[in-house]
Amino acid sequence: RPVLLADKIHILSSRQSRVTERWFSVGQESQTAAPQDIVFLSDSCVKRLQLILEKGEALRVQVEGGGCSGFQYKFTVDTTINPDDRVFEQDGVSLVVDSDSMEYLKGGTVDYSEELIRSSFQVIHNPQAEHGCSCGSSFSIKL
Amino acid sequence: RDRRLRVPARAALLLTSSAVNRIKTLLQQRPECVGLKVGVRTRGCSGLSYMIEYATEKGKFDEEVNQDGVRVFIDQKAQLTLLGTEMDYIETKLSNEFIFNNPNIKGTCGCGESFTM
Repeated sequence: RPVLLADKIHILSSRQSRVTERWFSVGQESQTAAPQDIVFLSDSCVKRLQLILEKGEALRVQVEGGGCSGFQYKFTVDTTINPDDRVFEQDGVSLVVDSDSMEYLKGGTVDYSEELIRSSFQVIHNPQAEHGCSCGSSFSIKL
Repeated sequence: RDRRLRVPARAALLLTSSAVNRIKTLLQQRPECVGLKVGVRTRGCSGLSYMIEYATEKGKFDEEVNQDGVRVFIDQKAQLTLLGTEMDYIETKLSNEFIFNNPNIKGTCGCGESFTM
């Protein structure tokens, strides 16, 4: 059945080229739209912060040692902003990251995930983190 | 002669008042559901983790806990694991979650989501 085999080769090669195309376009997007020293806020995160934060308050994200994968995220509400902090504002709410934590967070997105069992802030799509714990609060660093 | 021991039935799962209130509000938003179903899954770095979902009916082998007008069904596979567990609901400014105070477990993951028996 030479026809079938030829079909298969054709399908395989077209799919391969599509994959490389997609990779290429994603790589381009992240280069242009995501300068690497930014932490993004997801829509659900912004919405939740608009609900819970009062005037002068900001959400602080810290990275500290601990958890089963070496590092973990810690979320607090803070009113003071230190000189080495980076502040990311979006739609009236602000996210504060100190310079040490910034190294482990840049390029990532802070999200508010709502599930039946728990709702909490999480960091998703963190390019600095290797696969972490399934709970998402702990991770290891990409070397 | 009746030699069987008569032990009062222990509730398979205890709900705290905050858990009862939370389940009530959750179920008000979903009139088609009669209760919540609690189970365990093999997941997480310590082996097992809890799972909650809406239940539209009581499963055939589910254990039913009826407390203060709230119905919680325990999945058959989770009944031994959860025996004597207290289900609590904790709400803070940054998060809200159901917590299980389980006397049967040996250790938990750092985040508290998964556990070992």
